This record gives sequence, C-alpha cells and structure tokens, in this order.
Amino acid sequence: MKALILVGGFGTRLRPLTLSVPKPLVEFANKPMILHQIEALKAVGVTEVVLAINYQPEVMLNFLKEFEAKLGITITCSQETEPLGTAGPLALARDKLIDGSGEPFFVLNSDVISEYPFKEMIEFHKCHGGEASIMVTKVDEPSKYGVVVMEESTGQVDKFVEKPKLFVGNKINAGIYLLNPSVLDRIELRPTSIEKEVFPKIAAEKKLYAMVLPGFWMDIGQPRDYITGLRLYLDSLRKKASTKLAAGPHIVGNVLVHESAKIGEGCLIGPDVAIGPGCVVESGVRLSRCTMMRGVRVKKHACISSSIIGWHSTVGQWARVENMTILGEDVHVCDEIYSNGGVVLPHKEIKSSILKPEIVM
Amino acid sequence: MESSEEKVVAVIMVGGPTKGTRFRPLSFNTPKPLFPLAGQPMVQHPISACKRIPNLVQIFLIGFHEERDFALYVSSISNELKMPVRYLKEDKPHGSAGGLYYFRNIIMEDNPSHIFLLNCDVCCSFPLTDMLEAHKRYGGMGTVLVIKVSAESANQFGELVADPITKELLHYTEKPETFVSDLINCGVYIFTPHILTAIQEVSMHREGQGHIAANIRHLSSFETLQSPTRALPLDFVRLDQDILSPFAGKKQLYTYETMDFWEQIKTPGMALKCSGLYLAQFRFTSSHLLAGGDGTKSASIVGDVFVHPSAKVHPTAKIGPNVSISANVRVGAGVRLISCIILDDVEVQENAVVINSIVGWKSSIGKWSRVQADGDYNAKLGITILGEAVIVEDEVVVINSIVLPNKTLNLSVQDEIIL
Repeated sequence: MKALILVGGFGTRLRPLTLSVPKPLVEFANKPMILHQIEALKAVGVTEVVLAINYQPEVMLNFLKEFEAKLGITITCSQETEPLGTAGPLALARDKLIDGSGEPFFVLNSDVISEYPFKEMIEFHKCHGGEASIMVTKVDEPSKYGVVVMEESTGQVDKFVEKPKLFVGNKINAGIYLLNPSVLDRIELRPTSIEKEVFPKIAAEKKLYAMVLPGFWMDIGQPRDYITGLRLYLDSLRKKASTKLAAGPHIVGNVLVHESAKIGEGCLIGPDVAIGPGCVVESGVRLSRCTMMRGVRVKKHACISSSIIGWHSTVGQWARVENMTILGEDVHVCDEIYSNGGVVLPHKEIKSSILKPEIVM
Repeated sequence: MESSEEKVVAVIMVGGPTKGTRFRPLSFNTPKPLFPLAGQPMVQHPISACKRIPNLVQIFLIGFHEERDFALYVSSISNELKMPVRYLKEDKPHGSAGGLYYFRNIIMEDNPSHIFLLNCDVCCSFPLTDMLEAHKRYGGMGTVLVIKVSAESANQFGELVADPITKELLHYTEKPETFVSDLINCGVYIFTPHILTAIQEVSMHREGQGHIAANIRHLSSFETLQSPTRALPLDFVRLDQDILSPFAGKKQLYTYETMDFWEQIKTPGMALKCSGLYLAQFRFTSSHLLAGGDGTKSASIVGDVFVHPSAKVHPTAKIGPNVSISANVRVGAGVRLISCIILDDVEVQENAVVINSIVGWKSSIGKWSRVQADGDYNAKLGITILGEAVIVEDEVVVINSIVLPNKTLNLSVQDEIIL
C-alpha cells in the first residue's frame, strides 16, 4: 500500500524553529513530526511513502535515507517546482501512487497528529465501497474551519462549507484521506485545492464518506497548538503505553524524558513536558507544559512553562521563561532573566528581560 | 623622497556569519559585505577607494565567512579592476589586528611599505591618498582616520584624543561612560609593517601574564572579570583596545581627520541611509552610474538613483530620490519609489508605492499596494524590510514592519515583525 504526505512549504508559522530545520523534521514528543506518521503508516502495511515537498530537499533526503534503512519502508520525494495547493501534489506523484493493484492510498497533511486509526479507516473504506474516505474531527468552534456536512449514520458526505456563519455541523476535515486511484483522474497538474475543487465533486456523486476520528487531533503547525498537542499526545500515551512516560517523586502528570537526558535534584517536572536527547536539567528546576529540544541545558533554579526551547539552547540560573516563549536554535537566556512570550531567532543571547511578547531577531 | 619601487597593499576586514544578527533578515540570504549599497556590494566601496591609491598592488579581504560565499565576487572584481583581490578565510575570529597578523606572510609577500586596514562595514569617502601623504609626513607606525561627532553620540564609538598641532594620538578609549572626546575612530587605518611586530608583542605580553597567573593560583571568576585580556586567546588581538590604547602618546600613532560623511553599517536601516550617501557621492565621482530620465522615453528620475542595466522600468513610473534598483527588476506603470533598495528579480506591479523600504530578492509587490515606513534609520522598525520571496498582494498596505522570507501578505500590517 502507498501513502502521500503533504509536506509543502516553508513552515513559516513554526518559525523560529523552522529557520534551523525543515518542519517535518522538527521533533514533537522527541521524534521528528513526520516520523510519527510514517511509523503509523508502516504499522498498517504501507510499503512506500511519498513526501510532497517544495523546500530544502537535500536536508529531507538525508533524513529519509536514515529512516528508510531503520524502518524498512521506501520513502521518496516528489518535489513541486511551484506550489500546487492541496490536490496538485497528488497529480504530480501520480506514477508513484498507482501501481496497478487498484488499492487505495493514504494522503496525510504533515502537520496533523492523532492516534492514526488507519486500520479502522481501511475497514470503513471497504465497507462503504465509495471512492474516497476522509477523517473528520469534532471541534468546539467549527466556524474557524471548513465544516464537513455529512449523514451521521452512514458517513456519506453531503457538502463542504468554508467557515460557516450559521451552525451547519461541528465536524471538520482532519487532513487524513484514503483514496481510490480513480481520484487521481479528477486532479489536474496545476494548483488545486482538494477541499474546494476535488472533494465537492466526489461528494456530489455520493461517493465521499467521512469517518469521525476517534481520539485526539491537533494541527501542530504553530507553537500554541504544538504545546496543546503535546498534552493530548502524552495523555494518549498514558493510556496506551504508560511505561514510556517518566515516573518518580519529581514527576507530575505526563512527562516524556529521553534516556540520555539528565535531571538534577530537587526538580519538579510536569505536567505535559518533553525532554529531548542530551538535555541537562540542573537542580531545583521547575518545568511545566514545555518542550526541550536536543541538547538543551536548563540551569539551576530556573522555571519554564508553556514554552518551546530550541536545540542546544541554554536557560540561565533563576531565569523564568513562560507564556509561549519560543527559543530558536542556540539561544542563551542569561541568569535571572524573565521572558514573557519572547520569540527568539537562532544564535542570540538574551541579556535583558522580555516583559511582553515580542520577537527578538 | 618616494621610491618608485614602493608598494602598498590594502586589507579589508569582512567579518563572519556568527556576528551581526543585527543585519537580519537580509543576512539570511547574503553575507553582509556583499549586500548592495548604491548598486554595488558593500565591500566594493572600500575596494574602489583602495584602487585609487597609487602603487597599490593587492587587496586582501580577511574574514571567517565561507570561502564559497566570496569566490565568485572576488574573481569577478579582480577581473574588472585588473588587480588581485583575494579572500583570506580565518579558521576562527582573531580580532581586527589578530587577523592581520595571522596572514602576515601573505600580506607582506610583495614587501609593501604601507598597509591600509579598513573595516568593511564603514561608509565614508575613504580619503586614502591624502591620508597616506599625511601618514608619511607624521613618520609614525600608524595613522587612524577620525571624525568629529556630537558629544552625545561619541560614546557609542572609540573616542580619541589627538594633539591639535602634531595630530599625534594621545589617548584612546573604547565606548567610555564619561565624556572623553568628540573625535572618534572611523575604522580606517594606515600602518607601516612595524604594526606586525607590535601585534606580536601584545600576544607575547599576554602570554607572559597568563603564565604568571597560572603559576600563582587558579584564577577566580572575579579576577577574570578584572583583567579581561587574560581571558582572551593569545591570538585574538583587537586593534582598538589592544594596539591603539597602549601605543597612544608614544609618538607612534597619529590621526587624520575627515570632514566628509561617516557611518557604520550595522543594520538594514543604516544600509538604506548609506546607500543614499554613496549615491550622492556618485553624483560627484561617477555620475555616469546614476540614472537620468524625464518621463518621456524613460521613467522620471528625481535626485540620485541607480538602475541596473538589466532592470526594466516603465516610463510612467517616478523613481527617487535615493533609490537603488538591482538586476532583473521589473517596475510597472505608474509606480512611485522613494528612498528604497529594490533587490534582484523583484517585480513591482502597477501603481504601487514603496517608501523608506528594502524589498528582498524575488519579492513581488502587488498593484496599488503600499510598502512604506517612517524612515528613522536607527529605530527597530524605522524602515520596512521584506525578506527574500515575499509576496505583497494587490492593494495591501505594509507599514513600519519587517517580513521574513517566503511570506505572503494578503492583509495589511503595521508595526509588526512577521516571522
């Protein structure tokens, strides 16, 4: 079976992290974002994954070679020379997705994390016998998104409504599709939107079905949602494989600590914290709702919450970092500094406090 | 009397990539020394000034940028000037004097009688020939270019005290807290080869001090604070603190005052200001480089404007003052450009207005859109900067903002940094 992951653009919403690393390789819960998806696809028998990209292919290709070998799955790239939207890349990768077997193929949006119930989705697709299946997820504020209006019992999709002013439904497109090869015949090689052009046509022919995504869902393409997404992910991990989470008197709630990280005495870590490889957390540190990327050092008595600390950065003694502070790669927050929502570009030293959210270039 | 065999070389310090986050977002794409001012890479202005010195035989660029960043430029400018221009890459920063010493064998290979040392990010008229004559009259080891500034702003720089008659450098101090002098160091120097011995003395003295300290006891961090030079590596020698300061008042160093303009190019705002200063200078030294036009066959030009020969500007556009347009730019009908730098491959569509801004490579400015800023060159958001490949859609207004590369603006923004 095959799959296409829409990696697309420059990941500007996740800057400054994406100034150092292409978005699919930014770690989430100590694993590159795209690896979460590739592993889940491999688990249901996908043998080839195509990445639709238009940025930094060299960096991606190196990473791919490494994981092809480790996972035993073929990973190839399909590079857009101009942005092709959400459907165009499928046409571009046509030859890689059709192998004559007639099997449906998965299409995923690379920013999405969830429990990836791909096995259930394959069942659902076989059952209804339609041309395309999409996952939908329930949200509180559907008007922010594109709402999928469907028949509840069969899942048959009636129509899509972009940002509806009146309530028409509370299910939105979760960015996970399972498509028959015939869908490719509907897509031209030009910038095309799958939601606006392709799916409505299939829905009109009553061949599009939607399955409500069980479990959590998050688009982690921007820092605020990345942090919320980590909470949902660790929650789900607690239920499925709680041994992977850290435990101990200094741990509160769900915390993921890489085996090569070191934590000092008298710390209080958690809830909803991920500590990456090679990190050093010195004594007396308080961490909550935050992510430390590889090689971060947090010095004594510091306090970090609701923030993302980029690779090889340091947070000084008694520093307080909170409220959506995002530190890029190699950022050094000096001792006793306070950062309230500072967004700091790579290779900077923060010598004076940031009292209100601001970007430091 | 001058020997006809007397040769002179010039060294331009170009720095490296880890310094200067102040030049972001423009520095994401290009090393600062190659950023264009008045249509020429920043480093080309001191290079051209050096070329005018009689008996100049070589120009060296010293820095720690990657060699490949400078390879193309160095080869093309050597060809153009018919003079060797070489990029010497430091394996690590050695300081402004340490770099000179590190490459001393190469620099001295033609046995020059004088060495010019210039900082690349200094914008001035580079009166190097007159300065050399003055240096020879003074007969010292080195001459420093100086300029008078306002007393309030002097403490941002190195302040010098000079004897008003002999012009000898009597005292030097870097960024002092109290007022010392309103004469500041311009970052342009002439030395005789004795400077190399002086730099070596500094390193050896520092080594000696280090040995003594190490023998006595382990330095506490407080002591390291007290004597910062002990913490520096032996081969890191700064021209200002380590050479000018100790050698002041010993009849070795002299000053030459310039009455023309002088600025440091540390930020994109200053780059725009300095581009204007160089365009104004072209009016006197190389007016053939400036554009002309009155709106009939070619666009109306106001004031000092540079337009690259490959750029296409519609005749109904009005350009200037202080505008620099780079290669392959397309400026559509009815466009108004004032005080801006338009970088390579930009498209400015019909009736758009750009004021006090820098528009990054390959960007696109939509019809009737407006990209502008107050024009305060020193303020953080004083000029609007669009990084590489930014798309400003039709009719969108961008004011006092900085936009990082690859963004599309479909809504107006003001006073913002867009990541």
